[in-house]
Amino acid sequence: MDRLIYTALSGMNAAMDNQRATANNLANASTPGFRGEIFAVTPATVRGEPPEARAIARGFVRGADMVGGKVTATGKPLDIAVEGTALIAFQAPDGGEIYSRRGDLRVTATGVLENGERLPVMGEGGPITVPAGARISIAADGTVLAADPANPDAAAEPIGRIKLVSPEGSQVVKGIDSFLKVPGGGVLPPDPTARVTSGALEQSNVDTAETLVAMIDAQRAFEQRAKIISTAGELDEAGSRLMSLS
Amino acid sequence: MPTSALHVARTGLEAQDARMRVIANNLANIGTTGFKRDRADFATLAYQERRIAGQQSTGETAFAVGLNLGTGVQVQGTTRIDTQGTLNTTGNAFDLALDGPGFFQVELPGGEIGYTRDGNFTLSPEGQLVTSQGYAVNPAIQIPQGAEAITVSPDGTVSAIAPGGSEAVQIGQITIASFVNPAGLRAIGDNFLVETGASGPAEAGTAGENGRGNIRQGMLEGSNVNVVEELVEMIETQRAYEINSKMVSAVDEMLRNANQTL
Repeated sequence: MDRLIYTALSGMNAAMDNQRATANNLANASTPGFRGEIFAVTPATVRGEPPEARAIARGFVRGADMVGGKVTATGKPLDIAVEGTALIAFQAPDGGEIYSRRGDLRVTATGVLENGERLPVMGEGGPITVPAGARISIAADGTVLAADPANPDAAAEPIGRIKLVSPEGSQVVKGIDSFLKVPGGGVLPPDPTARVTSGALEQSNVDTAETLVAMIDAQRAFEQRAKIISTAGELDEAGSRLMSLS
Repeated sequence: MPTSALHVARTGLEAQDARMRVIANNLANIGTTGFKRDRADFATLAYQERRIAGQQSTGETAFAVGLNLGTGVQVQGTTRIDTQGTLNTTGNAFDLALDGPGFFQVELPGGEIGYTRDGNFTLSPEGQLVTSQGYAVNPAIQIPQGAEAITVSPDGTVSAIAPGGSEAVQIGQITIASFVNPAGLRAIGDNFLVETGASGPAEAGTAGENGRGNIRQGMLEGSNVNVVEELVEMIETQRAYEINSKMVSAVDEMLRNANQTL
């Protein structure tokens, strides 16, 4: 039996994985701050006597697409959209630091400032907690201000600054928990020039038109490889006929 | 053969369907007194790790990138957007609106306290200030029989002129509840919210103090639903639903093709 079918099968598997990554991007087209996945298929060439033949395709999620998503006004004072390429630092469930562009912040019953994915927002020295009953607002440089409702004439007090980091020049990967992190567990440097817009939320950066094209692409690639398998079957049959003794 | 692209697309359809339901509920309540619009919060589902970055590819080399495939999306919850609704003058003495944060306290059947922004109150046959469902305002406000010129001041003081009297006297005090995290209150329908662990306990007090809003007599707070905003979101949701259903049919075609060709 020809090994061609295994090459084609690996291609079909890669196309199906690609389709799944595309489906995940489309499904998350409405998730705030979502960063789409980039899928790449690389041929794994069998090296040997020339000509090199029979490349087995291998799929990768190469990383996250870091293009900015569209920003929409929400009217909620604790929603923040980060300008430029900066990322918001959050405390990971394991205590480490992870990054996201998702800025739908809220205050928990215990006063911890967290986002819609229940991740505590990191300040300069750990997660930010706000005093009970205070009215919270967020300044353009990420400073969290708390106003005492009992004392409306007093100026709002800064109680911490949201850690905004620059991903420039560092390797950032999308982990299995869908959060961006530094491989090996490092932290990104703070970006003092980063700015946020409050009352607005960055949406997913999935470009639906582009993703639909990728979907059709994967579909056709899958079909082509199925066709190769059936052609290989025909070749095999023709060979068997030639060899038959009767 | 992994066919889970179908299931991933299905999670997208379900999430958009849930979001549409939230939008439909917002639009349906556009005329509801004191209604606050909800927003559906999306969250990615878990990722599956097929290959870990750094895993050995050969004896000497390791994969530079991993293969993590997402499993889709879910609606994790809804956030109530507590912005102020428009105040509409009604002229009715028992219509009260809150100009600023805070909630009226109402005793629900069973003794639990419900919190509402709907100040469309009326008098019970016994002269108590009650909601349109007949639930009493807490603490109870008793209006004496035949009382005239009932006024509610911005701080919640209720005064009236007793029958035969000439001077207004205080007959009660409406208290307003505030919460550390009002977004954590749970909606139970009928315009009522109840406290949860996330909202923190109610801090009842005088209107206009500690960040609580002032009471405006003869006014009602409309819903804070913005029709244009909801319609735009509705179209966006519809399109997102469509592309996810396209994905379902694309994967279906791939599988059909494999079945027919092979």
